[in-house]
Amino acid sequence: MVKFLNKGKYLKKMLLGLGDEMKSIKNISTPYLFLLPALIGLLLFKIYPIFSAFLQSLFTRQFLTVEQVFVGFANYSSLFTDPVFWNSLKVTAYFNLIINPLQVILAFGLAVLLNYQIRAIPIFRGINFIPVCISIPTAAILWDIMLSPEQGVVNSILISLNLSPQPFLASDSQALLSLIAIASWRGIGYWALFFLAGLQEVPKSLYEAASIDGANLWQRFKNITFPMMKRPLTFVVVSVTVANMLLFSPMYILTSGGPKQSTNVLMLESYNNAFLYSNMGRANAIVVIILLITLVVIAIQFKLLRPKH
Amino acid sequence: MNKRSRNPWLIYFIHVLIAAIVILPLAFGFVSSFRHLDDIFRYMSPVTWKTFIPTNLTLEAYVNLFSIRGFGRVLFNTFFVTTLTVIFGLFVCSLAAFGLSVFNFKGRNIIFVIVLLTFMIPEESIAIPLYRLVDSLGWINTYYALIVPGIANGLVIFLYRQFFMDIPKPLLEAARMDGASWFKIYWSIVMPLSKPVTVTASLLIFIQQWESFMWPLIATRTQEYRVIQVALSHLRTETGTYWNELFAAALISVIIPVLILLPLQRYFVQGITNTSTKD
Repeated sequence: MVKFLNKGKYLKKMLLGLGDEMKSIKNISTPYLFLLPALIGLLLFKIYPIFSAFLQSLFTRQFLTVEQVFVGFANYSSLFTDPVFWNSLKVTAYFNLIINPLQVILAFGLAVLLNYQIRAIPIFRGINFIPVCISIPTAAILWDIMLSPEQGVVNSILISLNLSPQPFLASDSQALLSLIAIASWRGIGYWALFFLAGLQEVPKSLYEAASIDGANLWQRFKNITFPMMKRPLTFVVVSVTVANMLLFSPMYILTSGGPKQSTNVLMLESYNNAFLYSNMGRANAIVVIILLITLVVIAIQFKLLRPKH
Repeated sequence: MNKRSRNPWLIYFIHVLIAAIVILPLAFGFVSSFRHLDDIFRYMSPVTWKTFIPTNLTLEAYVNLFSIRGFGRVLFNTFFVTTLTVIFGLFVCSLAAFGLSVFNFKGRNIIFVIVLLTFMIPEESIAIPLYRLVDSLGWINTYYALIVPGIANGLVIFLYRQFFMDIPKPLLEAARMDGASWFKIYWSIVMPLSKPVTVTASLLIFIQQWESFMWPLIATRTQEYRVIQVALSHLRTETGTYWNELFAAALISVIIPVLILLPLQRYFVQGITNTSTKD
């Protein structure tokens, strides 16, 4: 124990030594010493992989060897002539065009509902907080069984209501929509938290003033709620987009991209290239493409949502 | 916008409907996890009260999970990984935040921009390129691969920095005059003041690691290092029709974060929403 303490003291001295000699030099280095461990972690495990993805995408593994050969943009050009890749691109676009507006609008609606001052509101807020604690893989497993075509609860309920049972994840026309529903069941409560926090910061007096002036519901929303909510709205729109552009686990766990590649999003295609076909170069080229598309989309969103002067 | 509703019954109705959609799969899963497999299928169709209320309770599914499927190991791994990531993450990130908020030095803005950039990058975007680096470190299929990349966390640094900025500077200067080292100021003055943000940060790191799927899937290969989300996915491929076990596993994966987060909901919500409403 004593030894440990001494060691700690020594370490502290070494790190932030404030000995009289060389005091000024040590003072200059002090902030960097505080930052060093975190900075190494961020640069190595968060920033470097992004550059590494681009570098790795310029190489390919030589047939039956482990040697990496520089091929320039060959991985990219081969992707752009591959119908599987084009299909993935289409599926990813379709998925995001539906799920992102859906989640933002429903999360906003839920936040408005959770902001009503009714007596049981703490209970409802608690219930809607539960999905925050549910991981997407867990949500996928739960709903997979609920949506089972033969024995699932949802189909049993449909039958008891005299409606016809649906194939859900087993059909190429419903699989992607089922995944959207599953991801949204888990996601909306989470994103609503941000809107709710934003709504609670809008001063009540603004609404009172507006009602005195005779503003209707839509006018109050357009002229008060929307401008006051711009910051949380921008945050949620961007975060939802990033999360869904990169969504991987429900497709991996439930559909493996099928049926008929109808749910084969880019992220899954990238994973399959890396770990099923052992083609890291190609997998990383797809990662770079996803990141570029995401960046462009986010830039457009920022431009559209930025307050105009 | 604290509205007082003119028509509370309609609002109640919508709320109950939403609550039902949120709770139905959880409640059904909970009930089914205490049933014999045959009973789940027998009472599924047509839908009656027996579909949702179990008659013969059994712990069979949970016993099987721990005795046959190795869930004891899975839970140990998950707790081990999350706990170590929380401890190291809190220390490393709060140190960095202290550096960023107390000192004025060259490159501070650049470093802050790096911090801001990294907290928008989800694990999925870097999992595949990160494989090469972690592989070359010899960490694939070790605890290092699961823990180390999660330690430095831009969001946690950001939260601590926000909090540290509000601590009055004269307090720190007084301690300096008394001869305290910067580390001592950090450790015995600033950190004890920062308990609320430490709770928030712990919850954030915990939930990120608990829910992490793609990176552990890539970074580990054997049962020995399997964490809960990956184990769930494996369980589905291995035992697709053992619904009672799948439900039991899913319920375990939900109930632990619920028990930890729900009582501390306030801290968690404040922490994450601070990032969206403030600069």
